[in-house]
Amino acid sequence: MTLSREVYQALEDIVGPDNISDDPATLDSYAFQWVAELSQRGSKFMPRPEAALLPGSTEEVQAIVRTCNRYKIKCKAFSTGWGPYAAPKTDGVIQLDLRRMDRILEIDEKNMFAVVEPYVIGGQLQAEAMKVGLNTHIIGAGSSCSVIAACTSFLGPGPDSIYMGHSSENLLAMEWVMPTGDILRTGSLGSGAGWFCGEGPGPSLRGIARGRRGAWGGLGVFTKCAVKLSPWPGPAVMPVEGVIPAYNSPLPENFRAYTLAFPTWESYADAYNKIYDAEIGYIAHRQFNLLGEEVWPAYIMRFIDPTKTTDDLEELLRLPEIQKLKVEGRRSFQLVLAGVTPRDIEYQKKALNEILVETGGRIVSKMAEPAMERFTLLYLIKMCFKEINMGLAGTYIGTFAQHGTPDFLVSHLRPAAEEALGRHQRKGLIADTGADSMMAAVSGIGGGGDCTFEQFCHYDPHNKESVRGALAYCADAARAARERGMHGGLEDIAREISKEELEESRRHAPQPIIYAFQRKIKEAFDPNDIGDGSYIATEEVKY
Amino acid sequence: MALEDYRAVMERCARGSFCKWIPLAHIKSWRFAKGCPSIEYGGFHSYSATGRLAVSLSLLEGRINYTDELLKIAYKCQVCGACDVSCKVCRDVMETLEVIRALRVKLVEDGQLLPEHMYVIENLRKEDNMMMKSKAERGKWAEGLDVKDLTKESAEVVFHAGCHISFDEDQWKLARAAVNLLKNAGIDVGIMGKDEACCGGKAYDMGYRGEFTKYAQNNIEAWNRAGVKIVVTSCSDGYFAFNRLYPQLGSRFEVLHTVEFIHRLIKKGKIKFSKTIPMRVTYHDPCHLGRMGEPYIPWEGIEKKIRGQIIVHEPSKPIMRGGNGIYKQPREVLRSIPGLELIEMERVKEYSWCCGAGGGVKEAYPDFSLWTAKERLEEAKATGAEAIVSACPWCERNFIDTSNGNGERMKIYDIIELVQQAI
Repeated sequence: MTLSREVYQALEDIVGPDNISDDPATLDSYAFQWVAELSQRGSKFMPRPEAALLPGSTEEVQAIVRTCNRYKIKCKAFSTGWGPYAAPKTDGVIQLDLRRMDRILEIDEKNMFAVVEPYVIGGQLQAEAMKVGLNTHIIGAGSSCSVIAACTSFLGPGPDSIYMGHSSENLLAMEWVMPTGDILRTGSLGSGAGWFCGEGPGPSLRGIARGRRGAWGGLGVFTKCAVKLSPWPGPAVMPVEGVIPAYNSPLPENFRAYTLAFPTWESYADAYNKIYDAEIGYIAHRQFNLLGEEVWPAYIMRFIDPTKTTDDLEELLRLPEIQKLKVEGRRSFQLVLAGVTPRDIEYQKKALNEILVETGGRIVSKMAEPAMERFTLLYLIKMCFKEINMGLAGTYIGTFAQHGTPDFLVSHLRPAAEEALGRHQRKGLIADTGADSMMAAVSGIGGGGDCTFEQFCHYDPHNKESVRGALAYCADAARAARERGMHGGLEDIAREISKEELEESRRHAPQPIIYAFQRKIKEAFDPNDIGDGSYIATEEVKY
Repeated sequence: MALEDYRAVMERCARGSFCKWIPLAHIKSWRFAKGCPSIEYGGFHSYSATGRLAVSLSLLEGRINYTDELLKIAYKCQVCGACDVSCKVCRDVMETLEVIRALRVKLVEDGQLLPEHMYVIENLRKEDNMMMKSKAERGKWAEGLDVKDLTKESAEVVFHAGCHISFDEDQWKLARAAVNLLKNAGIDVGIMGKDEACCGGKAYDMGYRGEFTKYAQNNIEAWNRAGVKIVVTSCSDGYFAFNRLYPQLGSRFEVLHTVEFIHRLIKKGKIKFSKTIPMRVTYHDPCHLGRMGEPYIPWEGIEKKIRGQIIVHEPSKPIMRGGNGIYKQPREVLRSIPGLELIEMERVKEYSWCCGAGGGVKEAYPDFSLWTAKERLEEAKATGAEAIVSACPWCERNFIDTSNGNGERMKIYDIIELVQQAI
């Protein structure tokens, strides 16, 4: 399908000729996506959009959506646009790139929230918030990602969730151009009372609009939102030292940045629970291990010594200190403590010590060296090194990404994930980083109780054999998850599995009825079905 | 390397868009977080480095053909290298800037040219300069200057004025001051005068590899004939060409930017300041002196895999991340001037915002070029500085042109002007 001249002209009339394109080169830049090669197309390119538009205001977005309704054209908006879920899922979709809507409209210091447009990234909001003693939750995908996209359209956990919550928890009032083209202002904004609350006074539609997993660009366009901010007990501007890529930040006196390790997985899970109970921690995350238990201790040295590169990996792995770190760092995660007062940090340290005594855990000695602490602090506070995910083999695919209680994840998910990845790593088509290549959000929601494990498969998207290896692993991982009563994650979405397989997978979700409700929501809010097919819902209502 | 040789880089791009921002660790504000002028001005994703990688792959795969828009995507970029720096914070196998350059080379080879570039290159071929001027005027800047003519004599040091300084009368003083400083310090220095030729660096950035190679070889031969051991230039474009590109053609000269030479002379006590300059200034790192100012390190080897699919090189491959450019010397020179206070902008060193003049943009897209410079002047003003100082005639001219058009009050200097004032 190619847009008719009439439709193109109607869209051009809205945004102006400089802000619309149907040039194939331009459009292919939008079709190109991460892990697209795992799809059935076997190409780096997702379906090419019919046109790309750069709207500059809510009014323009509304006019575009109304035009889509008039002509029965699908549209899909993105903010920063990382991932296959940002691109059109099928042919016949126009792409809205929201990068011209890039303002922080307000930071309300007293009431601790900010109002942002779609192209504001976490790193920008964080920098401005820190100037007034506040901070923003940054999602696991990193500070280059849009705040609004995290709040409205995707899952939204991150390393700081234990203190600052999940993106769904931080979403306050929002401005939503619904699939019909009507504008809905939710929560307190809907009653003219400002941005401070997502639930009222005014329409409380957070669950409808984003639910748990987000709208995925398939349910209209979110054009503004307010996001909750949290206290920041650090400096107004984090000082950054070091030569690229070995950037680091000195630890303020009221901060600590630890890597903690545990003798067994049971004690590891116990430590999570005890940390929740003690209400300590500013950031709690299993970050470095995403590079694999066999590799991470050596790989992170390129962030400590700027003369090192991936080429030095084998040499580094042979060093006794790295060998020791590998052993010490098994079953580990990172914990950043930030005290709002000297007494607070002393309490947190004392509480942590007790937890370590009770669980048999310890602070990993190499990671407690000043250079490692400085790197850990900067990495986790600013989430500024997230392309580390791609650093080993060219790219990665996250699998087994499940939320649950700590004991469920370590005793039920982890063995399955290790067995599946280890078996495929031995074949040589994906990187042999070690069976435990699991990143983990120690807390998926504010305060803890829910956490996440995600098993990383590193592969080379340039090497067709490696892509085939990754695909075979993903299929196996999804099967292993289903056999244990879990539904598939990104591995299913990237592979674009058949409708039947997807339905089967979703039947294993903790609450499959959610997908049925989402279908009802979709039908009610998008009567002309102009939303992109990424929106998560079952095909038919079955409950 | 040809575009096809970079297919792996294209396919390994994860579209993380780090290339659009300064390194995330360094973001200090909403206003100055962006790193790439091209995407900020061009708007569509195709104007980012990751977008250009996608377009290049699409071209190689035969999904698209040449269009006017594709030419704009390829050429509406200063090739400033900010994308490359941000990408390489985490990624050792990516060479985004090289892909952008290779795309231009392919376009030139396929006859996909911009008329504005063709005029400049035609003039280069006839007149040996990028300034649309006659080569007969080239040596005028040195009239009356008592300095060796290296077409007839020999010297240890050649001072290469470069196209811009040679033909921009306002900038003649920069070259004259540089030569006088060198001479007064007892350096055996000479110039090529009217026979000096373009470094070829700008042609290289515009995709005209043949022209670059011709001028590089000619310059290397001329300097060898004159017994030159050290090449000194006040032009950052020239510095990049001599320091990074010429060694790939066998050049073995020591290459110094004037600011490095001045820094050495200050350290040795051969330059002493006697005057105070009571002024708050900020320093603009030229892309070709800063992030692209790292020296060439030869490497021949292969990519191989360890542990199944982890990508490494045999032998270890040097990575140019931009961290070892010429940053310390200009700052120390400025700080050594009595009364001068140096205030840093938010985007500095390897993640500096470009002045806008490079990559053939000033020639083909002057509005974009001036917009980019205006952004930098806004950043400079935000520091509270009275003046912006640079170490490249292209940067200085673009700032002046922008300033003139906007009624800016900020003073604009080349670093050598302040050094000369303070002596």
